[in-house]
Amino acid sequence: MKKLIVATFLSIVLVLSFAVTAPAKEIKIGVLLPLSGPLAPTGKSLKEGADLAADIINGKYPDLKISIAQWEGIPSLGGAKIKLVYADHRADAGWGADQAKRLIEDEKVTGLFGCYNSAVTKTASVEAERAAIPFVNPDSTSPALTKRGFTWFWRVTPHETWFTADLFNFLDGLAAGKARGVGPVGKEQINTLAVAVENTEWGAASLTEIEKFAAEHGYKIVEALKYPKEAADLTSEARRMMASKADCYLFAPYVADAILFIKTLKEMRATPKLIWGQDAGFIVPDFYKTLGAAVNGILTRDLFSPELGKAKPEAAKINEMYKKRTGFDFSGSSARDFVGIQVWAHALNSAGSTDPKAIQKALNELYISSDELIMPWKGVRFGSPFPGDTHQNELGSGVINQYQGWPDGKLHVIYPFEFSTANLIYPFPGWK
Amino acid sequence: MLLPFVIITDLRKMELAIELILFGILMGLIFAFISLGLALIFGVMNIVNFAHGEFLMVGMYVGLLTSTYLRLDPFLSLPIAAAMGFLLGIASYRLLIKDILRGPMVAQLFGTFGLMLFLRYLAMFIFGPDIRTVSSGILVGKSVSLGWVALDLSKVVAAGLCLGLFVVVYWIINRTKLGRALRATSLDAEAARYMGIDTEKMNALAWGIGGATVGIAGGLLAHFYYITPTVGMVFILIAFATVALGGFGSISGTFIAGLIIGLIQVIGGQYLSELKFTFIYLTYFLTVVFRPRGLFGW
Repeated sequence: MKKLIVATFLSIVLVLSFAVTAPAKEIKIGVLLPLSGPLAPTGKSLKEGADLAADIINGKYPDLKISIAQWEGIPSLGGAKIKLVYADHRADAGWGADQAKRLIEDEKVTGLFGCYNSAVTKTASVEAERAAIPFVNPDSTSPALTKRGFTWFWRVTPHETWFTADLFNFLDGLAAGKARGVGPVGKEQINTLAVAVENTEWGAASLTEIEKFAAEHGYKIVEALKYPKEAADLTSEARRMMASKADCYLFAPYVADAILFIKTLKEMRATPKLIWGQDAGFIVPDFYKTLGAAVNGILTRDLFSPELGKAKPEAAKINEMYKKRTGFDFSGSSARDFVGIQVWAHALNSAGSTDPKAIQKALNELYISSDELIMPWKGVRFGSPFPGDTHQNELGSGVINQYQGWPDGKLHVIYPFEFSTANLIYPFPGWK
Repeated sequence: MLLPFVIITDLRKMELAIELILFGILMGLIFAFISLGLALIFGVMNIVNFAHGEFLMVGMYVGLLTSTYLRLDPFLSLPIAAAMGFLLGIASYRLLIKDILRGPMVAQLFGTFGLMLFLRYLAMFIFGPDIRTVSSGILVGKSVSLGWVALDLSKVVAAGLCLGLFVVVYWIINRTKLGRALRATSLDAEAARYMGIDTEKMNALAWGIGGATVGIAGGLLAHFYYITPTVGMVFILIAFATVALGGFGSISGTFIAGLIIGLIQVIGGQYLSELKFTFIYLTYFLTVVFRPRGLFGW
């Protein structure tokens, strides 16, 4: 009898100790996205990008020549599957922080991911910092986010400083005749700028960067306005842009306000020489789907173009998978969320543990090469590419694309000039 | 020497003032018409319909779906939007409001709040969160030139129609037997019942007419605004501010307040765009504090 009791006790201890030490079968990552409200369409496409990456990591895709497609889970964690636990932050910074806390305390997630809106990323990442768990940000571009000295926050995407530098290098190149299919335009033709940005963290940061680079490159900002992204009407803002008689209109909008702004400018028959959008609202499928031919000639800074598939066959294959699921090509935003989950997987695999400190070390030392990525980047490695940055991917880069031939057209790469896939349409053709 | 410059500056200032007033009146008429149903329902039943923005959203989807699937011009689908709004109003009253009216005030507030969430997420379930727009129609994407300023034709027609429909609703409420019965119900439902007025029917009619007007407003808005299940959020706060400013239940007050709100948001957008909502809500706040009954309320 005594032997039986001892054997039973030992069995229980053995089972329990196995349960404690055995690798987790599922690794929960809390994903914060705007899944309701005016940004819900964007949130949906980001979720689809993240879901596709998780499915590729958890399944087996021998045809894809990237490592996560061969893993069937996280190899160093016994094939543990990644489970994305979503929370809707409604594009509300306060609510986003509450949701981050809920994911950490109630859902016991291994780490956090998101949030797209820079303002929400700012507050939610504070919760991760307090709890000392990793927060990987794939898609928020306010430069301030990586200048806070946080030890649990890593950003994969390039930020506005890169993108704005790209814009002004593009304008300089256009003036000097470097743009494909367009002769030298002359700086005096594109010298004046009107800037409209939504009035949260991201828009304000975009405007600051534009002001800084405009001064450095010798361009004149003749109108600069911030507007609420939930505006019921943007007539007076559109009127201000037109009254400025600026050569170039520059925008940093989210999707609903981007659509409303372009519709209003079209109805008011605005005739700028160039329209450029700071990604976000200008690259969401709803933007080109709802505006149709009205998007032709509009430029947007971006991170992805289906045309890049010509140089990166794996990007083309993964884009096809995404398109099959959603009906749309990857946008720069959904592609970044795909890459962000990929970064999580590589970090977990390097860490070989779900211990936050091990993941922290893995992220700090992480290197993912360009051929693993669908983006036209040199890779992923966290460092300090601009003064004050910490844990910022220093191998990223952006592109400037142009809508051509819509409603059934393409988003062509225009800048960097050496990678352009079509002639630039210049000046902006206007709306009939 | 400076005279031509001064004249040009003054001319530009005058042009700017005219433009702002024009834009403000156009949007103001539309805001007023969106708010009309909210004022009407409150006037008759003393109940705030939090789902009003979602009624507007339903009207917008009617415009979108009839133009997409029935190939009907969105302008011609306005009677369908009105009918849908009317039926939605009646159904909301019969199936929900009638019962919660017996409960405390808080039950009424949460009841219409629940209706708001139900309609919003039902739309999200059916249509998804995608943003859509009406892409074709006799008014869609067309502009009309008024000298130096181009105006969106659909906004001009919408504003004109809103003005006309305001007159019609005002006439019904103030000049017809039905209107008298509605007003009697709003003043003293019990006394109205003693006088032989079917107050149940009047309540249902108030919801029906309120639903129909906001349905039409949605159909008109669909011509130039984007459509998504959460679009009601953008307009409901403006509608509350309009109705509070005009005086809850006052139709003429709603009309004047709509114009004031339209002008505030356009002029605010011109000079301090990032604070344009702040000016609207400041007006709302000051009204509630210093004149809780609004400009024309009782």
